[in-house]
Amino acid sequence: MEHLNYIMEITPYILEGAVFSIQIYVVTMLFAIPLGMLCALGKLVHFKPLRWLLEAYTWVFRGTPLLLQLFFVYYGLPFVPVIGVEFSREMAAFVTFILNYGAYFTEIFRAGIQSIDKGQYEAAKALGMSYPRTMCSIIIPQAIKVIVPPLGNEAVTLIKDTALCSVIAIPEMLKNAKAVVARDAAVSGYIIAAVAYLAMTFVIINIFKYIEKRLSYYDK
Amino acid sequence: MEEIIRIQQLYKSFGTLEVLKGIDLSVNKGEILTIIGPSGSGKSTLLRCMNHLEKADRGSISIDGQYIGKAEGKDGKTVYRSNKEILTICRRLGMVFQNFNLFPHKSVIENLIEAPVKVKKMEKEEALLIARELLKKVGLLDKEKAYPNQLSGGQKQRVAIARALAMQPEIMLFDEPTSALDPELIGEVLQVIKQLAEEHMTMVIVTHEMNFARDISDRVIFMEKGEIVTQGSPEEILINPRLPRLQTFLNKVV
Ligand SMILES: Nc1ncnc2c1ncn2[C@@H]1O[C@H](COP(=O)(O)OP(=O)(O)OP(=O)(O)O)[C@@H](O)[C@H]1O
Ligand SMILES: [Mg+2]
Repeated sequence: MEHLNYIMEITPYILEGAVFSIQIYVVTMLFAIPLGMLCALGKLVHFKPLRWLLEAYTWVFRGTPLLLQLFFVYYGLPFVPVIGVEFSREMAAFVTFILNYGAYFTEIFRAGIQSIDKGQYEAAKALGMSYPRTMCSIIIPQAIKVIVPPLGNEAVTLIKDTALCSVIAIPEMLKNAKAVVARDAAVSGYIIAAVAYLAMTFVIINIFKYIEKRLSYYDK
Repeated sequence: MEEIIRIQQLYKSFGTLEVLKGIDLSVNKGEILTIIGPSGSGKSTLLRCMNHLEKADRGSISIDGQYIGKAEGKDGKTVYRSNKEILTICRRLGMVFQNFNLFPHKSVIENLIEAPVKVKKMEKEEALLIARELLKKVGLLDKEKAYPNQLSGGQKQRVAIARALAMQPEIMLFDEPTSALDPELIGEVLQVIKQLAEEHMTMVIVTHEMNFARDISDRVIFMEKGEIVTQGSPEEILINPRLPRLQTFLNKVV
């Protein structure tokens, strides 16, 4: 009973941290998906400098740890000459996560778009459709079906990555749980956080399952 | 005879492989032209140059007097119109592919109305009316809600023909429309093409179906190694071929 009371006492504090976790989750998804889509389309354009730029972008952000990127943007960027900007902790986290996830989404979307048969472009062109129209009506809708499963994987990974924000002292869920654990020398705080992460994962997995099901109305 | 497609001195290479070597060809309104020849002779490439799916390197192409690409300078390098203008001109040509290339995420009826509504800006009601009319014509009125993967190969190709016709083209290009089909499904597709022939649709057909070519064609072209070797009526080319190369080819196909 006493234990239950203890749990009731610490849960609200830990869940307060979940507010930021959810916030960065939503912001990242909201911005990284369009960013990834634009960069994926950019990578398919024949203009070489743009392609190189985008290759460099995805290489850097997929090739270094997210943790390092977070440190760099928050602690390092203010000291970089010329572009040196100082973000608030939250802003630094948003920017880093959007750019990082945008890079992964770019690759997922590019692969999805490129998996669509060349014959689809030809059929569309033979019917008089312009390239933008072809992409919007024919290619991207089909690519989405290919994209959704790997996107779902990333979406689950992102839930867990939000915990990284604790390293720049943002009071997100893991940081709050850790504080409680340290204060009371009891492990319950971690368990509550774990349950909360699992609950979020459960929701996201099911959202993606639903989307996949909605897209299964046709087969290739 | 009114000329609707004119091709002059067309050259096309893929890397170092020269696929078209100076093709001269014109097609008249209402004419049914079939192109035959061994694999790799450039039949598809020639057809695809007509609606700009392939860009020729040198030579000219024009549709009903409007050029798509024009040979310029003394090396005859092709200079093209803007993509937008080409798309508009090429709307007068419909194309049917060997592999159908239906849009798998759209139902049969959606496949048919997509381009009329989005490209031609036709009212949806009108597009649906035309689409159903065409489905009736190809005998698939009951399939309008089906998705392409639910259809047999023959049905898919008939939908593909209807989809091309939905843009109300003046010329139809067919690239081996029956080559991907099981033998028992070929007949139903050829039947639809024959029906178009009876309506005097201008058609350019690449095919390996020699009996069909003989029955339907006004003129047959024999291509080999990127050149038009000979051409003439079906009698001259298919029934009484004189050229040894043509005889060899026909013996192999039949
Ligand atoms: N996009 C391409 N890139 C490189 N080579 C190509 C390309 N398209 C065609 N070719 C080559 O060009 C040659 C002519 O091809 P084409 O498809 O026009 O022949 P075809 O007469 O239609 O043959 P088939 O009867 O097999 O369809 C072939 O050797 C082919 O490999
Ligand atoms: Mg071919």
